[in-house]
Amino acid sequence: MTTPSLASLHGNRACAAGAIAAGCRFFAGYPITPSSEIAEQMSRELPRAEGVFIQMEDEISSLAAVIGASLGGVKAMTATSGPGFSLMQENLGYAAMTEVPCVIVNVMRGGPSTGMPTRPSQSDIMQARWGTHGDHPVIVVAPASVQEIYDETIRAFNLAEEFRTPVIVLYDEVIAHLLESVVLPQRDTVPTMTRKWASGEETTFLPYAATEDGVPIMARPGDGHRVHVTGLTHTPDGFPTQRPDLAAKATQRLLDKIEFNRDRIERNETFDIEDADVVIVAIGIVARAARRAVQELRSAGLRAGLFRPVTLWPFPEDALREAAAKATCVLVPEMNAGQLALEVERVVGPGKVARLNRIDGEPIAPADIVRRVREIAA
Amino acid sequence: MTVHAHRAEIRLAGSGGQGLITGMHILFRALAIEGRRAAQSQSYEPTSRGGFCYSDLIVSDDSGDYPLATGLGMVAALSQIGLDRSLALIKPGALLIVDERLVPEPPRSGFDLHVLPMAARAVEVGSPRIANVVALGALAHLGRLVPREVLEQAVRLETPPKFAELNLAAVREGWGLVGANVQV
Amino acid sequence: MNDLLEAPFDVKDYLRLEMMPHFMCPGCGHGIALRCLLWAVHELGIDKNKLAIVCGIGCSGRVGAYIDANTFHTTHGRPLAFATGLKLARPDLTVVVITGDGDCLAIGGNHLIHACRRNLDLTCLMLNNEVYAMTGGQVSPTTAIDRLTTTTPHGNAEPTFDACRLADAAGASFVGREVTRQAPALKNVIKAGLAHEGFSFIEVMSDCTEIYGRKNDLGESPEMIMSQKSDMRPEAFGNVADQPFRANRLRAGIIAQRDRPEYGSVYRQRAAAEQAKAKAKS
Repeated sequence: MTTPSLASLHGNRACAAGAIAAGCRFFAGYPITPSSEIAEQMSRELPRAEGVFIQMEDEISSLAAVIGASLGGVKAMTATSGPGFSLMQENLGYAAMTEVPCVIVNVMRGGPSTGMPTRPSQSDIMQARWGTHGDHPVIVVAPASVQEIYDETIRAFNLAEEFRTPVIVLYDEVIAHLLESVVLPQRDTVPTMTRKWASGEETTFLPYAATEDGVPIMARPGDGHRVHVTGLTHTPDGFPTQRPDLAAKATQRLLDKIEFNRDRIERNETFDIEDADVVIVAIGIVARAARRAVQELRSAGLRAGLFRPVTLWPFPEDALREAAAKATCVLVPEMNAGQLALEVERVVGPGKVARLNRIDGEPIAPADIVRRVREIAA
Repeated sequence: MTVHAHRAEIRLAGSGGQGLITGMHILFRALAIEGRRAAQSQSYEPTSRGGFCYSDLIVSDDSGDYPLATGLGMVAALSQIGLDRSLALIKPGALLIVDERLVPEPPRSGFDLHVLPMAARAVEVGSPRIANVVALGALAHLGRLVPREVLEQAVRLETPPKFAELNLAAVREGWGLVGANVQV
Repeated sequence: MNDLLEAPFDVKDYLRLEMMPHFMCPGCGHGIALRCLLWAVHELGIDKNKLAIVCGIGCSGRVGAYIDANTFHTTHGRPLAFATGLKLARPDLTVVVITGDGDCLAIGGNHLIHACRRNLDLTCLMLNNEVYAMTGGQVSPTTAIDRLTTTTPHGNAEPTFDACRLADAAGASFVGREVTRQAPALKNVIKAGLAHEGFSFIEVMSDCTEIYGRKNDLGESPEMIMSQKSDMRPEAFGNVADQPFRANRLRAGIIAQRDRPEYGSVYRQRAAAEQAKAKAKS
């Protein structure tokens, strides 16, 4: 078979398939609705791909094991949902601080707390960005279809490797459990990326020295560079410091490596945006509803358009600013009490932004959005 | 850009344990053989036995289209609760196939209603567990969704080999019910 | 073969000398534990390029940074979980966890029992100084009854864990205990633990003179170390679960060693069988 094949795939299984295609060879996780199918698929597939699956005793140890495997040089991933994602926050910060590539999938369900385990939600948008303590870099991608779960999981691994940072794949329960037609590329045509590995002089190697793009070179255990890795604020040699000038420099580089490389990280999609009076900003299943709403509104003579951040964090702010420049209103429908709207307000100014929120565990439907846009237009 | 893609919304409705998801997946496979894109969703609740359950298929050539039901155009119902809980989403004039025995109170008007003995025929064919496949045959035929050979090909691909013959008999039974036993 | 391995043991060959002076207080037992670990590493001829040290948080967690190996200072209580991922991904590495009584038995207690149950080939050194020393001397799961700490100002009323009995009951295939007072014996237990294939749990009875000893009037380092010795009686390991262990006569040396399948090799065997099956199919 040499051509891409049209298949039908379940959202969570597409995530596992994408991970393996991206070169993931280690998965540690803990069962949680509605993400468990990812772990189940990885437990079947990884041993066949000479990888390792392990079900750990909780989500804390799951991410710890993932980071341990990645420190060993193996691409690694975990998958969870709200309560488990909360438990992972400390080690997520550790991965950000120690610059260990890893991928964390969070299939969003209704919260807070145990909430509604089987119902969809988008209420972890801010937790994905700010969940762990301290100023930290993070990349979050937000796929909106089964095809995109596959593609963005691959991209998540590539971004994690390229920028040595945890990358979160964030999607809702609806997309997770959809079965959709997808086009899967041949395994060997998937573009994969691997972190820069250290070679050369052992004595002069600095494991956290900035390179041209700000991303340090990683030492693989066993290759001769016996380095120290710590979650304490550290200097380029990897050892802790509390000297104010060095501490500031270390944290700043962490943030800059994402900020200065936005053009390589950001991705967004627009639909009927050019002449839109109302620009709808949405992710996941809500973006799919918005797309349909745009079509219906256009048929009725209302100029609506859609801006969909595919990279959710860092937020594609310049692209949105441009897309919304001529619009009279920016509507943010989301399945939470208002999170994405906060960022949109920051970018386009609060005066222009209208909201549409659902927190009842039901997806926002195209009709909900059509109704809200008509209200705004009236 | 703003073009309404051809879109069909199809539901198998009933109760948990009736094989609705498997049934719909056979149809998905058949449409895929025909080169059509679709999205399948289902109730995702702890109701694997008894209780309301459904599986939807949204057929659309637009890969970014909304993948959930907004107005169902074709429904096959294998339980009263399955029908009752779906009614609000069914478009007026939609094709509605209900089981003669399992749906004792179908709506009197407003739909293209077909009352068929799907569960009874499943038992005659060999198992009460294949009413889903009988319903699928009827739905595919009445809805003109795919040619019979393609549906049979999908049944072979999606069911375990040892049940293939039984499922093929069921899908043919459902296909054949249309015309012979239609009550409007 | 590394030239080092032919030479007599010199701790300096295994230390990051640029990190000296170290941060440990005068009289702290952790330095002895560190020396004994490196001594055992030397005697076993373990290549330090292939040695990974995974530490948690606390005084024990800081020990790793002095070792000239691949060293990982992880999060509080989680070094066993990090080590589990590292060892499964890189079975060619010798992975040693250095943890403390709070790190291992309180915040990390769940990871300890599951690591024991799983029996992955890791060596876990728990440096027990009976107190949270790094944070200023709070009560820990091994603080003896009636002891004064900054969070038990009226005397500790909580019973303690016997870490070795816990590890043994949870299925660790190697359980050992030694005191820093007897360095050669400690080295030998660590050596046996490193050589053992499977999960090895070793409790090192360390001491904290500055934060804990002084507050409880336990004397200076020599007195504290001598009392360690008098507490250790190899013959006694009776029905003492509810008793504060310092009042007991704790067993030392190799307490338990049993043959159990090592998890990593079992997983790899099963994976190889799966691969063969898949190959036969295609």
